[in-house]
Amino acid sequence: MTRQARRRLFAGFRFTMLTLWLLVVAFPMYWVLSTSFKPGHEWFAWPPVYWTSEPTLDNHRAVWVGETEALRTQEAFSMQKPLLALQHSLTIALIATTLSVSLGTLLAYGASRYRLLSERRMFNLLMLRMVPPIVVAAPLTLYYSALNLLDTVTGLVIVYVITTLPYSVWMTKSFIDEIPVEVEQAAAILGAGRWRTIWEVTLPLVRSGLVATFMFVLILAWSEYLMALILTKTEVVTLPVQLAKYEGSSEGRVYGRQAALAVGITLPLIIIGCLIRKHLVRGFSFGMVKR
Amino acid sequence: MPRSHGPGAVFKWTLLAPLFALLLFLVPVFLLQLYFSVHSWTIYLGSWWDAEFVWFDVFQEVLSDPRFGWSIVRSLVFAGVSTLGCFAVGFGLALLMYRPFRGHGLYYAFFILPMLTVPIVIAYTFEMLLYQKGPVNGILSAVLGTDVNVIWLADPRIAVLTTVLLEIWNWTPFVFIIMMAGLAALPRDLEEAAQSLGASRWRIFLEVKLPLLRPVIFLALILRFLEAIGEFPKTWALFQGGPGTATETIPVYLFLTTWTYFHVSRGAAMSYVVLLLMVGIVLMAIRMLRREKRILDRLYQAPAARP
Repeated sequence: MTRQARRRLFAGFRFTMLTLWLLVVAFPMYWVLSTSFKPGHEWFAWPPVYWTSEPTLDNHRAVWVGETEALRTQEAFSMQKPLLALQHSLTIALIATTLSVSLGTLLAYGASRYRLLSERRMFNLLMLRMVPPIVVAAPLTLYYSALNLLDTVTGLVIVYVITTLPYSVWMTKSFIDEIPVEVEQAAAILGAGRWRTIWEVTLPLVRSGLVATFMFVLILAWSEYLMALILTKTEVVTLPVQLAKYEGSSEGRVYGRQAALAVGITLPLIIIGCLIRKHLVRGFSFGMVKR
Repeated sequence: MPRSHGPGAVFKWTLLAPLFALLLFLVPVFLLQLYFSVHSWTIYLGSWWDAEFVWFDVFQEVLSDPRFGWSIVRSLVFAGVSTLGCFAVGFGLALLMYRPFRGHGLYYAFFILPMLTVPIVIAYTFEMLLYQKGPVNGILSAVLGTDVNVIWLADPRIAVLTTVLLEIWNWTPFVFIIMMAGLAALPRDLEEAAQSLGASRWRIFLEVKLPLLRPVIFLALILRFLEAIGEFPKTWALFQGGPGTATETIPVYLFLTTWTYFHVSRGAAMSYVVLLLMVGIVLMAIRMLRREKRILDRLYQAPAARP
C-alpha cells in the first residue's frame, strides 16, 4: 500500500470513529433539548418522536414562569420552586466559589512563595478530597442541626467551600508558580509591603488564571447533589435537588418539564466550560500534567 | 520579596488560616462519627446523647453484614470497569485527535460536553432515553431491523451495565482532556530522533511515547478510579440501589442505611470502614503518583541539564 493510500485510510478511520462518538455524545443532549420543546403527548410516544412538528415553549414557561394551565391543575407544588432554586443555587454557588478561590489563593500563595507547607504534605492533604463525601455525611447532618445550619444557605456554602478548596489551591498555585519571583522582589525594593505586592503585582498578573479557577469551582458548586440533598429540607433548594423532585410528583413522569429545567441547569455550565476549556486540565490534574 | 528572611509571623499565619479553619470545622464531625460508631443508636431511640455505649458491637455487626461486603465489591468492580472503559475510549479519542485536522475544534468542543453536564441531569436524560419504549431502543430497532427491547433500567444485570455506561459517557472527557494534554507535552525531538533511526510509527508509540506518557496515564486512571468509587448522583437517581440490590454501591448503601433505615450508628461504623479503605487506597495512589512524578520531572529536566 502506498503511503498516500495509507494516510487516506487513516483519515477515513479517524473520521468514522470520531463521528460515531460525536453521535453518542450529542444525541442525549439533543434529546433533552428537543424534549423540552415537545408537547405532553410526545414525551412517551412510540415510535419516539425524533423531530417534533409542533414545538412549544410551554415546558420552559411552566418551569420558569409557571403561568400555564398545567401549573394550576397538576404540578402546582413542585412547580413553584424552580425560580427559588435558581436564586438559591446562584447565591450559594457564587458565594462559595468566591470564598473558596480567595482562601485557596492565600494558601496557594503561601505554598508557592514560602513553602509554608511542603508540596508533599499539601498534596497528601488535598488528595484526601478523593475520599467520597458520603462517609462524613451522617455526622455532618447532626453537627449541622446542632449549629442550626441545616437547611440554610450558609450551611451549604461552608460545605462547598471545604470540598472545592483543594481544586482552588492547586489551580491557582499552578498559575502563581509561573510568575517569576523577581517581579515581586522589584516591587518590594520599590517599597511595597507584602500585602500590597500581592494585591497590586501578583494578582493582576494571574488574573486570567483566577478567572478560570473561579469558573471551574463554580461548575463544581453548581452541580453538587449529595450534600444539597441531605443538608436541606424545605427552605433552601438548589437546582439539582429541584430536578430530582419531579420524580416524586403525583402525576408520574413529566419529561418535558424535567427536560426544560435540565436545559436551564446545564446551559450556563456549557458556556462557562467552553470559555475555560484551555484551563480545565489544571483543575483536574492537581498540577501533575506538564504543558 | 526576598525569600531569604522569610515571611513575618502574622503574614504567615494569615496565609495558613484557611487550612486551620477547615480543620477546626471538620474535627468535630469526625469525633461525632466516632461517637456514633461505638454507640447503638437509630432515630427511633430518642436523643442521640443518651445512646448506649456498646464498644465495637456495631462494627462487628457491620462487618458481618454480607450486603455491606457486596456493596464494597460492587463499588470496586464498578469503579474498575468504568475506569477502564473511560480510559479506552478517552485515550483512543486523544490519539486520533492530538494532531490537528479539519473540524478538530468542533469535535473537541463536543467531546468535553458530558463532563460539563450536571450528573443529576445526566441521570434524568438517560432515563428519558432508556425506558423500554424509548428512543435508544427505538434507534436500535431501526438500525438492526428487528424489535429491540433491552430492559436498561429494570433488569438487574443490565442495570449494572447501564450505570457503567453512564459513568463512561460522563467521564470519558476527563481522560480525553488529560491525555490530550499529555500527548501535547511530549517532547518532539525524541520522536524525531527515533524516526530518523528508521523506527516504525508503531514502535515509536510503544517504546517512546507510551513510557513518556506513563505518569499521565497513571494520573488519569487513579483519579478516575477514586472518583468512581464515590459516584452517587447518577446511580441514586436512576436506581436507588435497585433493582433488588443490583446497583447498591458503597455510597448508595451508606445513604440507604442512614437516611432510609435510619441506622445512624451502623452508617457511621460503615463509614469508618470505608474511610479506612479509601485512605489506604489514596495513600497508595499518592505513592504511585509521586514515583511517577519524579520520573516525569527527571524526563523533562534532563535535556536542559545536559551540557
